[in-house]
Amino acid sequence: MTRYAIIVDLNRCTGCMTCVLACKEENDTGPGVWWNKILEIESEDLDNINYVRYACMHCDSPPCVDACPEGAISRRPDGIVLIDQEKCKAHGECAGACPYGVIEINPGQGYFSEKKKTIEKTAPDFQRHLPGKASKCTLCVHRIDRGKDPACVAGCPSKALIFGDLDDPNSKIREKLRKAGPLLGQKKANPKVFYIISGSLFYLIENSVKRDLRAGASLDRPLYLLNRYNCK
Amino acid sequence: MQEYNIWDTGVEGQESEGYTFCDGCNEVPFCGIKFYQKDNNITRIESWPGFPASPLCSKAYATVQRLKNPNRLLYPLKRTRPRGASDPGFTRISWDEAYETIVGQLTRIRKDYSPHHAFFYVGDPKEPRAAVQRLAFTYGSANYGCESSVGCRRAAQLAELLTYGFPTMGNLPTEQTGVMLIWGTNPAYSGQPFMCHGRLADARERGVKFIVVDPRKTPTATTLADVHLRARPGTTAALAAGMMHVMFKEGLYDRAFSEKWIHGLDSLMDYTKEFTPEKVEEITRVPAEKVVDAARLYATSGPGGLLTGAQGTTHNLNATNNHRALLLIPAICGYLDIPGGVKKSTEPLEGMPGPWAEGPPVFTRKDLLPAMQANRLDLEDFPVWAEKIFEVQANHLVEWIREGKVKAFLGWGLNMMIWPQTHEYQEAIASLDFSMAVDYFYRPQTHPFVDIVLPAAMNFERLAPFAIHGRKIFGRKPVPPAGECKEDWQIALEIGARLGDPEEFFNGDVEAACNEILSMWDITYDDLRKNQESGVLIPAKGGEVYRKYETGDLRPDGKPGFNTPSGKIEAFSKVLERYGYPALPEYKEPMKTSSEYPFILISGARVPYITHSKWRDDAPWLLELQSEPVLSIHPKDAKKNGVHTGDMVRLKTRFGEMEVKAKPTIMVPIGVVSVMHGWANSNVNELIPRQFDPISGFPPYKEVVCSVLKS
Repeated sequence: MTRYAIIVDLNRCTGCMTCVLACKEENDTGPGVWWNKILEIESEDLDNINYVRYACMHCDSPPCVDACPEGAISRRPDGIVLIDQEKCKAHGECAGACPYGVIEINPGQGYFSEKKKTIEKTAPDFQRHLPGKASKCTLCVHRIDRGKDPACVAGCPSKALIFGDLDDPNSKIREKLRKAGPLLGQKKANPKVFYIISGSLFYLIENSVKRDLRAGASLDRPLYLLNRYNCK
Repeated sequence: MQEYNIWDTGVEGQESEGYTFCDGCNEVPFCGIKFYQKDNNITRIESWPGFPASPLCSKAYATVQRLKNPNRLLYPLKRTRPRGASDPGFTRISWDEAYETIVGQLTRIRKDYSPHHAFFYVGDPKEPRAAVQRLAFTYGSANYGCESSVGCRRAAQLAELLTYGFPTMGNLPTEQTGVMLIWGTNPAYSGQPFMCHGRLADARERGVKFIVVDPRKTPTATTLADVHLRARPGTTAALAAGMMHVMFKEGLYDRAFSEKWIHGLDSLMDYTKEFTPEKVEEITRVPAEKVVDAARLYATSGPGGLLTGAQGTTHNLNATNNHRALLLIPAICGYLDIPGGVKKSTEPLEGMPGPWAEGPPVFTRKDLLPAMQANRLDLEDFPVWAEKIFEVQANHLVEWIREGKVKAFLGWGLNMMIWPQTHEYQEAIASLDFSMAVDYFYRPQTHPFVDIVLPAAMNFERLAPFAIHGRKIFGRKPVPPAGECKEDWQIALEIGARLGDPEEFFNGDVEAACNEILSMWDITYDDLRKNQESGVLIPAKGGEVYRKYETGDLRPDGKPGFNTPSGKIEAFSKVLERYGYPALPEYKEPMKTSSEYPFILISGARVPYITHSKWRDDAPWLLELQSEPVLSIHPKDAKKNGVHTGDMVRLKTRFGEMEVKAKPTIMVPIGVVSVMHGWANSNVNELIPRQFDPISGFPPYKEVVCSVLKS
């Protein structure tokens, strides 16, 4: 079996946003949609600033799959969770069910409205985003199927992201797996993005994410404010 | 299993590869982009495999969106309403009309005044420099300047030339390096020397120690530093003196090297005597024990490397001597030009000192400069600079225009927000006989004040310049320019050709100009094409040589020693002494905070996805990441002033004020606030005075005191 996963080494992540833009450029998502984000998590008490690469966790038990009444979300045998835009009827259940709050809705507008049409004509499938439909990280399945790492992993200048097959004993991801853990593991979704960070900070990051989800984060605020937490 | 159609199914054979460099952060040498295109439409990009400067950063990915931005300039424009009008009425003109106007004005100014009355300038990107220098010097003007000679790299370089006799921003750690000193730069975010953080983190994993000096809690400090010294802005010379004090006192310095190779060692020892760790703590706010820790770590864990920023240490009124002071730390430890230390490249490519930053001198016609030295406008104001740096220190442009010494201004990548009190430069340039700018987009802070705006081809659309890394040369494989855009080099060459000597300017042919330079190494652009991805290596005559101060390789006269008047590293600068400036790297107290202005203002704190004023509307992806400037303020200071995240505050100095959104963060220390520069509607440089370091002419972007009040 193959189970693809990513390890994020937060001792190396600098919040440089390269993965965020590499994803944007690769997948050409619409305005306001950021499949890949950087959370900036700061603790005055611990005198610490952490940057956290944050995207779909491609859970082994993905709550979004069960939540969709249209059966539009599926988990491939290799563990990649994908949304079928044609089947999606934009009920919104998936977004509510996702423990990580990473499912977004494609906007109707492109960045440059008058240019949109000509670009769309030539765009490959993975860059076509139907307005109003649910949207999230595909783990760059189109790249993986060609033997390439996801764009975020390939682009990371700090080598903070490691991609690989959890079930392959020779995969480079296995070397560091012992040191890494999932975010919000208690939600039992069995996520396949793992983070390397010291214990107390782990707790801090989890709390920040939970609080943000409760607050009902919306993307109409600039990201630098949205993704920033002050933790006591 | 659901599968996605991918780019090369269905379009197999139609997609082809291209190669170019990123101009996103104005860094030379450039980072390499490999791109894929179909019908000249760029479909995706990636890091150029095997390219020395890689990987790419966020800005490079955004160059794709910038390229496709429908708002980019596509045709030459001329102004039809008064300069500075809210709508200057720019209308489309032909290249012929644009060139006739420019050449007519230059010809008239040369006749009516002198060629030196025309000021040539290259801002951001740096790419046009070599071609514009050739144009300026051949036309006959000594007055060429660039963003480096206004507020970026050259003050640090001046300090390096005065102290070491060669320019250096340090090196990445090698296998031999034991400890790194990273001073006033954040390589996690910006190209120094490129996106090298992964390599620094690897060095840390193999045991290299890191000392990071930065008032801000940057990711460089949080991910790498064993010791982080958060010095008060502008106090570099005091902190450096404190570290040297410890090294001298505890006998940790390299005595044999220092006695033999440092001029003014005794006076330096005398000078640093009073900089006890306790006194240094008072001045710099760095705890005394950390000063001691850093000094011991650096002196005893060698070889020690160094990474300095382009300008973090020189944006203050003691710019030159602040930077000179820190340069002496590796010097007294004997770390200069040893394996793992501060290396001077053994065999830089012949004819190309400092790739593109200084141009190839033969091509740029630097040979014409000595005869024009007396015509440099900065000669009286900044004589040390004028002796050491060939680009004119352009911060007194306002006075020169008022006094009628400049009549025309030709700017490639011109951005008036670079200057403190920006409006004075806008008004001055608006009062000229003639001015023009070359750019990718219409820039409302700059272009309303000029007469002609020319559309530049972007990085994917240019052939020149090629890239040089060490002794390896790489060419580009571009797509055709959009609209009527022309690459910077072509514009400079065509103006030159029309001014009277078409052959000197290769009849405007960019590739012919490149070939002229490449002929120095017996290759042509076609050779670069044949070796597109791998580049062409120009073999060195010998292997790497260290301690070149012993071999005579550092001096043009071949004598042992450093390329300075004394032949040694100059703690006591003979050049500064000759001109009556403090010859030791003396500490000078920065502007004092007061109850009215309790904070120190850092203008120009960078974010990783924006450089200067680029990347706002140019690439909306990046504008979405940050849509306005923010004031970083420590949470304790914010609380004291009742300021919360997202509140509008009034930021005020004695020289100007503006409204800005607050972001409480421990990124900045207590008592320090920082704002990113280059935001058109909240231009923080309007709050910076036109006061200048007397030696380098640099303004105090990171020194001015300010107040922050809730709006």
